Amino acid sequence: MASHVAGAAAGSDAPHAEVVSMGQINPSPCPPLSSSHQPWSSASGSVTVSWNNQVDKASQDTVYYDPQRDVSVAGGNQNVGSSAPHAAQSSMGMTDASHSHVPYSSSVQHSYNPVEYANYYYSYPQAANDSSVQQGANQHPGAAYQPLTSFQNSGSYIDPTSNTYYNAGGHQTVPGYGSGSYYYQNNTWDSGSSGNNYAQSYQNYSSSDTNALQSSTSMPANSVPYQQQYNQWPYYYNQSVPSASSNPVTGKSTADNVAVNTPAGYSYPSSQPPPPGTTSWKINSVASVAPPMQAPGVSGPQNQYANQAQDHANQAPGVPWSQNHYAYQAQAYPQKTMNSNHAPLINPEDPQRTVDPIGRSSNTLSNHVSENFQPNLQGSMTTNTSSESKIQIPTNPRIAPGFSMVIPKSEKKNLGPDLSKKPAYVSVSMPTNDAKATQVGPDARSMPFSLRNYTIRNLNRCKDDAQRAACRSIMEEITRKAIADGTLLTKNWDTEPLLPLPESVAGTTEASSANHSSLFSSTPTPRKRVKSRWEPAVDEKVTNKVEQIAKGLVNSNIHNSFEPKNRTGSSWDHGKFLQSHQAPLNKANQRPAKKQKFTSNPSQIQNGNASSDSDKEQDLTKYYASATALANSPEEKKRREHRSKRFERSQDSSLRSRNSSANKDAIANMHRRRAVSSHLGRTYEEGTRAVEDMDWDALTIKGTCQEIEKNYLRLTSAPDPSIVRPEEVLEKALAMVETSQKNYFYKCDQLKSIRQDLTVQRIQNELTVKVYETHARLAMQAGDLPEYNQCQSQLKRLYAEGIKGCYFEFSAYNLLCVMLHSNNKRDLLSSMASLSKEAKQDAAVKHALAVHAAVLSGNYVLFFKLYKKAPNLNSCLMDLHVERMRFEAMKCMSRSYRPTVPVGYVAQILGFLRTDSEGCTADGDDGLEECEKWLKAHGTVLSGDNGGELQIDMKASSATLYMPEPENAVAHGDASLAVDDFLARTS
Amino acid sequence: MAAYLSMGEAHRRIGDYLSRVVDAISSSDGAALASLFAVSAPDSTLLSDALAAFPDFPRLAGDRFPHLADLLVPLLRAIHSHSLQRFADAYSSFEKAANAFLQEFRNWETPWAMEAMHTVALEIRLLAEKADRELAMTGKNPDKLQAAGSFLMKVFGALAVKGPKRIGALYVTCQLFKIYFRLGTVNLCRSVIRSIETARNFDFEDFPVKDKVTYMYYTGRLEVFNENFLVADQKLTYALMHCNPQSESNLRRILKFLIPVKLSIGVLPKRTLLERYNLLEYADVMTSLKRGDLRLLRQALDRHEDQFLKSGVYLVLEKLELQVYQRLVKKIHIIQRQKEPAKAHQIKLGVVVKALKWLEIDMDVDEVECIMACLIYKNLIKGYFAHKSKVLVLSKQDPFPKLNGKPV
Repeated sequence: MASHVAGAAAGSDAPHAEVVSMGQINPSPCPPLSSSHQPWSSASGSVTVSWNNQVDKASQDTVYYDPQRDVSVAGGNQNVGSSAPHAAQSSMGMTDASHSHVPYSSSVQHSYNPVEYANYYYSYPQAANDSSVQQGANQHPGAAYQPLTSFQNSGSYIDPTSNTYYNAGGHQTVPGYGSGSYYYQNNTWDSGSSGNNYAQSYQNYSSSDTNALQSSTSMPANSVPYQQQYNQWPYYYNQSVPSASSNPVTGKSTADNVAVNTPAGYSYPSSQPPPPGTTSWKINSVASVAPPMQAPGVSGPQNQYANQAQDHANQAPGVPWSQNHYAYQAQAYPQKTMNSNHAPLINPEDPQRTVDPIGRSSNTLSNHVSENFQPNLQGSMTTNTSSESKIQIPTNPRIAPGFSMVIPKSEKKNLGPDLSKKPAYVSVSMPTNDAKATQVGPDARSMPFSLRNYTIRNLNRCKDDAQRAACRSIMEEITRKAIADGTLLTKNWDTEPLLPLPESVAGTTEASSANHSSLFSSTPTPRKRVKSRWEPAVDEKVTNKVEQIAKGLVNSNIHNSFEPKNRTGSSWDHGKFLQSHQAPLNKANQRPAKKQKFTSNPSQIQNGNASSDSDKEQDLTKYYASATALANSPEEKKRREHRSKRFERSQDSSLRSRNSSANKDAIANMHRRRAVSSHLGRTYEEGTRAVEDMDWDALTIKGTCQEIEKNYLRLTSAPDPSIVRPEEVLEKALAMVETSQKNYFYKCDQLKSIRQDLTVQRIQNELTVKVYETHARLAMQAGDLPEYNQCQSQLKRLYAEGIKGCYFEFSAYNLLCVMLHSNNKRDLLSSMASLSKEAKQDAAVKHALAVHAAVLSGNYVLFFKLYKKAPNLNSCLMDLHVERMRFEAMKCMSRSYRPTVPVGYVAQILGFLRTDSEGCTADGDDGLEECEKWLKAHGTVLSGDNGGELQIDMKASSATLYMPEPENAVAHGDASLAVDDFLARTS
Repeated sequence: MAAYLSMGEAHRRIGDYLSRVVDAISSSDGAALASLFAVSAPDSTLLSDALAAFPDFPRLAGDRFPHLADLLVPLLRAIHSHSLQRFADAYSSFEKAANAFLQEFRNWETPWAMEAMHTVALEIRLLAEKADRELAMTGKNPDKLQAAGSFLMKVFGALAVKGPKRIGALYVTCQLFKIYFRLGTVNLCRSVIRSIETARNFDFEDFPVKDKVTYMYYTGRLEVFNENFLVADQKLTYALMHCNPQSESNLRRILKFLIPVKLSIGVLPKRTLLERYNLLEYADVMTSLKRGDLRLLRQALDRHEDQFLKSGVYLVLEKLELQVYQRLVKKIHIIQRQKEPAKAHQIKLGVVVKALKWLEIDMDVDEVECIMACLIYKNLIKGYFAHKSKVLVLSKQDPFPKLNGKPV
């Protein structure tokens, strides 16, 4: 195998040289293999340190951590020097790492933090080295480069030697930099390696080219790789874990970063015996987690991320090349197929290569990638390389943005196989990542919002990191179970009871969390930002910019790599971690991306922020802010700035709320509300964003309340999901109201609350129409015209949107209402003009039009005839007009009839007799009495002569007729405010 | 065409246009300025070709006349966008130019630029209408006409002041009316009308005739909506009397509303009038009123329902029903008087019911009785109804009083 690899490496190198056109560089990497190795190790040493940091965090060994920093501070080209300590660390780390590792794995958060830190750290020092101008160029080249490096790595992967030459490549680059600063070199170094790694993870193939490129471009490339390294670090870490056997190798290589990794790996294997493939997967997931961590902090960077992600995608999967690789890989290692980027890398490690490959991989992070490549290379080295070279160049996103398009496909492809082959790996966390990377995002949705909410809710209740960690692990468990049961999407997470506060969770996690917390507390202080965390990167020094850019690249890269995983959902184990971790992180990440952010409940976001450590956040923010500097174009920059500002605000608010309100649920609600309002406020504040651009969908909440009954209370603040009922419940509530025996006031109250819940959730469908129709009918029956009008105007709008309902019925009501209760002729005209031909054929509408004609000509007889045979509830609306019509009729009759008219006749034509045709006699007396009463009340003069039948003296009446004050009138003019009604409502 | 235009020629044309605008302003030549502001006028094609050939025109305008750049640059943009049929863009640009012009206009003591201001008011309305059409077609919110309305309100504010500029206010008012009627927000007219009719600084007779006619036409229409037929008649008649007799279409428009108003106060037009102005949709209504043919009235309403509903006279015409009943009863009365003069003033309800049945109007006795009561109540018939004997007793004197210009 070794020879094989070597050959492959050589082969790759040659093409490499061609591609790069950097003859020197190419050859140099090849021969130097052995020699370069040491430098590499030294370089790796720096890396290692960073690694150690992570490990430290994981293990919470402050000592390790410190060394790291020290080294970085030292700054000299002391790669070697650093490497020495490094080696020590690595060796130490092995044990320590192993110890720490276990807890680490258990508590994803921790790992996450460390990673962030490391990244953060790196990025900062880097910044100084780079110039802002380079950024743009750097990023792209970086991407391209990285792949190349990875290629080389692949060679190295196969053989230990490969590492060396890989390193050599890195070395070359270092000189090119010329920037004396230790960090920088390290970075470059790392970048070389990291780039490789990165490339590996993402694109297994391109490594060789990248290296060449790196050497050639050195500076810009370096910055990018550097960031990549960071990303990779976690990644490495993960990788190392699976390969237990690799430890010895690492030990040998000590100087190498790999060594550090290996220790970690060691611990892992020991702790977790799972098949190499799986472990690697897990690791990957962890790595992925790390990136998300970063992501959350930066608001602005999202775009970058996306871009980067695209770039990555382009580079890796997007390129036909990559696809080929994948295919190869698939053949060679079925298991590897899993993740498009990472997966392949990890897989190689697995059973086949076992110790050796793993060791290499651990040694050179990039090597992992290369491993994946190896098969490919072996199969068709030359072709691959050539294709790589060709492809890679175009791939640079900046240069050829079009390529990004390709990426998704390739990713998907990868994913597909991954899933099929390793269904076990379904990373919950992934979705969050996706969400972060908007572009890649669609898969993110795989994790239901409700579940995320649920997770957040649980996390919010946690009082400290330990609890949170425990809670996360529990959540992971739950999610895993749900996925296993297939209930992930069907389960109603909104109604799931919150977890008990996880005091009793495994001590390990607690300990780890404690460590973490201590770490955080200790670390953050020195770094405490003076600036607001979300400050746009523009403010930062030019030197930082490069770093930032590089970081951005890394982040994006990571994201991409992760994303595939997420989609695949292959890494479930990690997924949990990721999930729990990411939940907060992801949300934070999501913020940057407008859409995603909005799609997820604002409350969620807020919660996420709140739950994540403020320290972390700060770091992240810093990191992100720096990343923000990576502006591709002025507009991009602007947009990012906006976004970052937005975050600034939200972040602040969330922090504030968090501090003040501890972890109570009630307070969480408040947060949510605040979040919503702050969101709104933010959007408004953003002058550049037009109102129509606002994504109202994102501000829509989803209710979780399961109570069917709910009193109406006018909202004075943003709605609280916990007291808003979801659609299913609202349906029940409507049914309840419909069948309820209680009075109108109760029903009206209930319906108003239903309407409110519908409105705040922006549900506009048949149910909405039904609710409004029901309420309108009830209001008509109760003569509650104001309420009816509200419903009618809403219905008008809903019908206009094409939602089905009783359109004809309500257009008839509308006509009646306009003609009888408003005197606006224009409204009536427009209502009549808007009637369609079909509508005019409808019985109810016809009836309404006939009523109109009757009223217009004063034909009270016809009016009361129509009143009696009114369809639907037309009579209810006419009811409200009856009194006036009768009075008009009496006025008219008293003027025109002489000398008398029998009361019976008046009772008949004015609708006092309810059944005029059949039951006249049965009902007659009542009607007559009522009519008599009415006539008397209105001042008519009745006379009893002419054979006993009561007659109306029309002439006399014409003078005395008057409209009595309505009996139920109240002084303030609103009968519904009457005391009796009030009492009736409350009783 | 634009492709053939050389840069030099384009540059020259644009420069020419710009200097003409500036010259007109400096020489206070309102008419010339007005013609230059006519963005949608056909003679701007030469200029728009030049603008197409010389895309850097904004800078040209800005460099040449920096003090008028606010006006000239968006103006050129508007002309350019308009020539490209991008009306929404054209509107936006023109609104900017119009605002700049209004700013200048406010500072000018004399109303020399009134003509130009009126052109701006007209153009902004026309452009807004086109822009709204374009926006509606592309599924966007057509809000330009509304924006034009608020701009014209600003113009109105600048004109409704003491001084010679007030003469121009009525023109802007009329443009506002047009916008409000098109938007269906006629209630917004009220504030403008109030300031025109109550403000001391306006003497209505001072306004130009054309503006007065337009104003009377629109306010008359508003009164039709309010069923204020006497005032409507007065205003529309004023419009008709003062309207340019050559302008047939304007006369027709006025008559379209004046005829229903006149009908409702009992004045019937000659058929020749309807024919001349192609208003024959009223012919059947008129005939039904003459004959007392309720069926014909209902048919006519039914036939032209959409048209009448759209113009807003449907309800007015519907109300003619009672007059048709009156005519019917009158005819019955005349016949009865000939048949048996002794009982000429006593019309049996059955006869009316029979007559309605003959007209294929399905009404029972009670309804007909009700209608008779209504006729008496509304003073269309003098007399009373005896319920016991079901007889309509007419007054001996003038049982069917004419409306004589009074509405029912």
